[in-house]
Amino acid sequence: MSSIGRSPVRAGSHALPAALLAACLAFAGLAPLRAAAATAAPSFWFAGTSLVLGKTQMRAGEVAVASDDAGLARFLAKLGASLTYDQAGRIVIVTSGDRRVIAFVVGDSRYTAADVRENAPFAPYVDGGSAYIPFLALARTLYVLPVADGATTVLQPQIGGLDVRVENRVTTVTLRGATPLKFKRLSGASDERLAIAFAGVGSTLEHDRRIGGSAELGALTIEVGGSPRNPITTVTFEATRGSSHALVRPDSANDIAIAFAKRGIALAGSPIPDSGEPRPVPTPAITVATIREPPPIQNSDYAPVGADIVPSADAIPPPVLGPPVTVTSLDATAAGDALNVRIGVSGPVRYEWHRLGDNRWYVDLKNATLGIPGRDEQPPGSSISLRVRQLSVAPDPAVRIAFSLPSTRQVDVLPVSGGLGIAISALDEHDPERVGAGRIASGTVAAAPPLAGNASDLWSRAAVQAAARPLVPTNPKLIVIDPGHGGSDPGAAHNGLLEKSITLDVSKRLRSVLLARGWQVKLTRETDSDVFAPDDSAHDELQARCDIANNLGARAFISVHVNSFPTAAMNGTLTYYYKGSDQALANAVHRRLAGAMSTVDKGVRKEEFYVIHHTTMPATLIEMAFLSNPGDAALLRNPAFLQKIAVAIADGFGDYAASTPLPPTTDGT
Amino acid sequence: MLLAILLAAAYVAYLYLLKPAAPVADTITVYYCKTDGETLVPWKVTMGVPRQPDPAASAVDYRSRVAIYATAQVLAGPPSGTEAIRFPSGTVARSVVVSGANATVDLVGPITSAQEGSFAESGEFKALVWSLTALPGIKTVAIEINGARVPTLPGGHLELDRPLARSSW
Repeated sequence: MSSIGRSPVRAGSHALPAALLAACLAFAGLAPLRAAAATAAPSFWFAGTSLVLGKTQMRAGEVAVASDDAGLARFLAKLGASLTYDQAGRIVIVTSGDRRVIAFVVGDSRYTAADVRENAPFAPYVDGGSAYIPFLALARTLYVLPVADGATTVLQPQIGGLDVRVENRVTTVTLRGATPLKFKRLSGASDERLAIAFAGVGSTLEHDRRIGGSAELGALTIEVGGSPRNPITTVTFEATRGSSHALVRPDSANDIAIAFAKRGIALAGSPIPDSGEPRPVPTPAITVATIREPPPIQNSDYAPVGADIVPSADAIPPPVLGPPVTVTSLDATAAGDALNVRIGVSGPVRYEWHRLGDNRWYVDLKNATLGIPGRDEQPPGSSISLRVRQLSVAPDPAVRIAFSLPSTRQVDVLPVSGGLGIAISALDEHDPERVGAGRIASGTVAAAPPLAGNASDLWSRAAVQAAARPLVPTNPKLIVIDPGHGGSDPGAAHNGLLEKSITLDVSKRLRSVLLARGWQVKLTRETDSDVFAPDDSAHDELQARCDIANNLGARAFISVHVNSFPTAAMNGTLTYYYKGSDQALANAVHRRLAGAMSTVDKGVRKEEFYVIHHTTMPATLIEMAFLSNPGDAALLRNPAFLQKIAVAIADGFGDYAASTPLPPTTDGT
Repeated sequence: MLLAILLAAAYVAYLYLLKPAAPVADTITVYYCKTDGETLVPWKVTMGVPRQPDPAASAVDYRSRVAIYATAQVLAGPPSGTEAIRFPSGTVARSVVVSGANATVDLVGPITSAQEGSFAESGEFKALVWSLTALPGIKTVAIEINGARVPTLPGGHLELDRPLARSSW
């Protein structure tokens, strides 16, 4: 990439705006304001209405406005700016609509605006818990100038910045406004001479400017007319003969960017309309109510491999469960600030434990009933509270033992003679695991030594045994496929497509292929629905997906997603892993995806995504393509492409399964 | 002769006293993530405000001051025209609290409701974590959304319910 002739001109750093401001202040603009300020709140005319600042004081002839003033908040909102006052650091930070950071420090009359030092009329100060900052200095930095209009001070938005970038034979001019720029393309303009009028804004820029280093654009001129309340700025671009231009996407909503190039060079933009506002920078925020789901793809559109196999939830045999075991005892012994718990059970049982972000920790015993009274207590001498209850009843009875910990305590879990031992240390764990699972097998229960009374012995033994015990899938033929998003959560939405629909489509195709190859398959959702509940929390929803795989003891978990990005240019296929045990699966699947698909290969990456972290078996999350990219979106509309993805994932899983033998079970089976 | 020596010594002392102190580095390094989603690019920004303890202002939390300034810069992103993965426009840090080796950043604005793809989420938070952990003494970054700890953003990808560190990637 080459870049020459980049010439930023900023109102805050240029002599011209300073001179303009000084002239405005000197000749009339603030005279009425000064007179009025002693008796009434300062009032301005701004954006077609009156702006009153309530919490103000006068300092050094300047309006000092409180950082929490409601009028200031309205003013900043109109400009797309935000303000943060950090009391501890005694710093006020304003971020402008065009993403410049402006910092005022209490007690320092210098301030920083977009990396440039400026001087304010007074040093910001604190009074009554609010920081007071120089209002007009801030306004000027935000490209707003006070202009006299009779007895009224008008806060006039400006075109306050101009960037010229010359890159790859394309010259891009970015005009920076205080507010989103409304424009009108003036009639009669040719490709070589483009004149655009901006209503409602003045300009602090030089009137005539030659563009150096550009073969496409020679000069531009700026004229300001209109009235103080309704200014009009006209910018005329003098392009060279044989050039063309296009409106390109700016980095901020307050900017307008126009690219110039010789005819024949493709410009990544759109023709400049006769009038309008620059398209705001698209934020990925999506209101579900505005999304219209496309009609579902009909099965007749498919040409799937293994189409003769009808996927069905019944394809997965339900786990074979015997009669529930009974929790027969629970002993909790405090040892200093540690707690040692022993849970007695009547037979083999599966368990799964979780650590929550608020230092709650619980273990669920599956297919178990509570044969002792529930408990909710804090053992004497302990800072740890304990709760035991029947979490659910038939047909899926479960017992939950939960602890509320004072900090991220180290917790070890170990099957012991006749049940399960839990040792909670007095020490914190720096980066604790969040989830785990295991099984108290009959042989293990019988063979295990008695629970030691000394907690440290238990921890040592737990650590050794846990390290030596690889995860064993209880359903080694079962793969859980997770169609990303669904129901009240549409996921990404671009180009008329919804992520949740595509993920479900591909997941069903993948199921067909895997079933045809002799695997068992469970989808976390079969329809356009939430897995946990509509409008549930992300935690409940994602954990519910993990729970399905964890509870079924699946061999692998494959989460299917589609990516999106704020700009349309981003494209490609990514595959993620998190746990060490995920990596071989992710690599195998991605290798096949990259070989089969025509998308850009963005590789395999490690990322702490919830569903691949909180599943106990090897897991991978696939981002098939970018919905926000027109090219990728076109591919995702094609049923044959979706089928190709499904086959590639299945091939990748097959490679993984062939090269990764299952570990032996804990009870020797 | 003695007088000449004394005068020379006085002149040297005068020059020494007038010599300006070595300038304190006036910049901090923050990072942005390139659009490949992997490359982190250091970029220096002018701190421009006191960030060293001032004996006359002992109540000031300088670590907090620098941390919130760095956070604001990361949220604003690199200069316009730079290809970068950027936080959604309008995303703001309501507070940045430094406690021990952890900085807790409370984010408000569009990021709290954004349905971003995993690719953007990763690049944004990687840049934030790298930037804050480049500050002395900060090793981890806890993220709050609208004042609360959450397991993930609404889009449901990157796990946020425990502090992030450089080793998270």
